Parts: sequence; C-alpha cells; structure tokens
Amino acid sequence: MVAATACKKEEAKPAENPTQAVFAGFAKRVDGYMKLRKTLADSVGELDPTKSQAEITTRATKLANSIIAARAQAKPGDIFTPEFSALVATLIKQEYSRRPDSVRETREDQQDELPDFVPKVNTLYPTTYPLATFPATLLPLLPPLPQQLEYRVVQNYLVLRDVEANVILDVMPNAIPT
Amino acid sequence: MRSRFEAAILAIALGAAPLGAQVFLPMKAGSVRFLVIGDAGTGGREQYEVANEIVRYGKTFPFTFALMLGDNIYGSERPQDFERKFTRPYKTLLDKGIEFDAALGNHDDPNQRFYKPFNLGGNRYRTFKKGNVRFFVIDSNYLDPEQLKWLDKELAASGSDWKIAYFHHPLYTTARRGPEVEVRAVLEPLFVKYGVDVVFSGHEHIYERYKPQKDIYYFTVGGAAKLRKGDTHPSPLLAARFDRDRSFLLAEISGDSLYFQTVTRTGAVVDKGVLARREVRPPATTTGAATQPKTR
Repeated sequence: MVAATACKKEEAKPAENPTQAVFAGFAKRVDGYMKLRKTLADSVGELDPTKSQAEITTRATKLANSIIAARAQAKPGDIFTPEFSALVATLIKQEYSRRPDSVRETREDQQDELPDFVPKVNTLYPTTYPLATFPATLLPLLPPLPQQLEYRVVQNYLVLRDVEANVILDVMPNAIPT
Repeated sequence: MRSRFEAAILAIALGAAPLGAQVFLPMKAGSVRFLVIGDAGTGGREQYEVANEIVRYGKTFPFTFALMLGDNIYGSERPQDFERKFTRPYKTLLDKGIEFDAALGNHDDPNQRFYKPFNLGGNRYRTFKKGNVRFFVIDSNYLDPEQLKWLDKELAASGSDWKIAYFHHPLYTTARRGPEVEVRAVLEPLFVKYGVDVVFSGHEHIYERYKPQKDIYYFTVGGAAKLRKGDTHPSPLLAARFDRDRSFLLAEISGDSLYFQTVTRTGAVVDKGVLARREVRPPATTTGAATQPKTR
C-alpha cells in the first residue's frame, strides 16, 4: 500500500525538462567548486579596493596557487561533463546558425583578437593574452555563474575561468563553431 | 638650438598647436569638465607624449576627472607595470587630484576593479554622477544577464539631465575590425529606451564621431597611446574622423550643451563642437561624409 502511494506520487511529479536537468547538474558541480573556493579564499583573505597593485597581485597569486594545489587531480570534463558539453555545443551551434551575416562577418574580422593558446585545466590563463570579448548574445543561453567565475572563448574552446585567481577550471573543446 | 620662433613655425608646419593650448571650450561656471582617453596603457613613448599634452591643456582647461575607455594596462600587470603604464605618465594629473574613472577593456585583467585609483570600487561596472550628468561605466567584455539587468534598473532610475555611457567596444565604427554588433544588439535597445545621450568607446586606435544614431552620439576615442594609421574610412554616418596621430578628448557640460574638442599628441585640435541634449535638439540628419582635418 505504501509502495503504491509512493508510485502514484512519482507519477504525479511533472517531467523535468532535460535541459534543466543537465543545467542543474552543472550548477551542483559549480557549487561544489565554490565551497572549496570559499575555504581557500577565507585563508587568503578578502580583497578590498586598494592602491597597491602588489597587494592585488599577491592575493591573486596565493589564491591561484591554493586552488591549483587543491584541484591537482582536476581534468577536462569534471565540470563540463560530456552530457553538459553536448548540450551546450548544440545550443551554441544553434545560436551561431541564427546569426545574421553582419554578426558573422564581424566575428570573422575579430578572429585576430582571439587568444591562440591551447587552454589547459588547472593552469593560469596566460596574462600575455587578451580576454576575448564573450559573445553577448550567447551568455543568456548558458547557465548563470557566480560572480567569481566566468565563461571565456579561446580558439574554439569554451573555458570556465576563476576571475580573481585567473585559473582555468575546465575547458570544452570544439564548443565554438569555426 | 632652435629659437622659440622657429619652434613655433615648425609646430605649425607639423599641424601642431603653436605654443599655448587652443581651448575652444567655454569654461562656464559650475560646468562639468572631463578628459576622455582610450587604449592608453602601453607605457610607451607615445602614451607619455599624449599625457604631456593633456597636462598642458589641463593648465588652460582645468578638468576634474578622466574617463578611461579600457585597455588601461596592456600586457603584464605587475606592480611595476602599473607604475610605468599609469602612475608615472599621469603623475601630474594624479598629484593634482584628478579622478580616473576606468572601464575595463579586453586587455585588462578584471582584477583592475580592485585597483583604487581606477575607482571601480571592486565592481566591473558602475554608475556615478557629476553635476547634472549620470555616467554609466559598462563592462562590454562580458555582458551577462546580471549586468544587463543592473543597467536596465540604473538607467530607469536615472533622473539626470544627461546620460553618458562608456565602455570599451564601439557599437559604431568604420575601423578594420568593425563595430561590435553583438554588443550593440544588447546595449542599443536600452540606450534608446532610456534616452542615453552620448556614448564613448575605445578599442579601435583612432578617433571617430558619428552623427546621431537612433538619436545617440557615438565617439570612438581609442588613440591615447596606440594608433592604427589610415584605419578610419569615409562614411555618410560619420561627422568627424582622425587616424593620423594619437588623440584625446576634452569635454565640458553646461546645462543642455556638451562642448568637446579632440586634441592630438602634438596639440592640434582635430575636431570640436557642441552637442545638445537629446531632449532639446531637433531630429538628426545623416547626410554627407566626414573628411579628415589637414593635420598629421
């Protein structure tokens, strides 16, 4: 009897949107990282606006080192899982296919701006490269991130980056149509 | 050694301002006066030369704050880079208490928001008010829904006479890389909806002023250190263009008028004029193409 009731309850539950489910999984993994990050950031200390660039650099370096050490086993796909990557690549492809010619041409003109290094998980984003502008029309399609994190495009990779620490947390190859 | 007279003749021949700064701004009592520089942070000789010219003009036209349109620090961002690419070239201005209000460019580490002299207050975007002008500092590198929501809210809440937005990527330009049409797609509707008057951008290392687009004036002032010679192109949409030397812009707002002049590294004035606030000006016309002034 109890089992039958439980079964009925499950049936009554509305079917979850597959995109939402994949995004929810991603949000959980991001939360996991943010918990780890909080512990590490607490030990480094909060950064408030300062006149001293040395202070900013020191704090960023300490935070980066502790994140890299704590995630020594991190590998591509830990946060951008294959399921999530497949979904996001499709969304990006669809968005790109809807773009008018003017947008596509501008993107092509701006290719020289895109950093041409191969991004690697758990390394620093090389400071000698600019941060390419993230396509503004793409951001609303992707799951929101806490303000400490951001998406970036490097070649055809989608990159997840810790902004303050400048650490690449995960990479998704072939995410951006060429 | 060249005489003062010879130096003046040489300066005229080069298209430079002869000796004193040529200020065409009215300097009205109580006006809001500011400097606009873009793509300045190279630490190279040209940045210092432009900075010296700014200081010279500042003596005749005392401004109180400076808008930085991004690419504030190119390349590495070690403490010594901030020294070489910011505090040293602008030392005279900083010593005078000029406030620098930076926007972030694609070459800027977002951690610049923690650098107090840039006045971002730990944020990537912000708004501030000077007199009857509300400024909106936007991070055009990363226009996430959160920033757009913030901008919508702040623009809606702004009761100021003037609304000026500034950020790194130009929504309109004839330069080689072209306008940032994706950024335009998300920002322009908000600017139009809430009546933004003027937009300043950098990124392209040239100077351009557009005729009003959807009733908004667009300036590209991206040549405060770098230069892409010959990178502006004739267009019926342009009111003025200049790509033969580095440049900066001085502006003054008094009542419903914004006075401006654009000055080169050698002190020549290559553009000047007065713009009316959109609520009080007649509808814009967009005919004719801008020609470059005969200055190097």
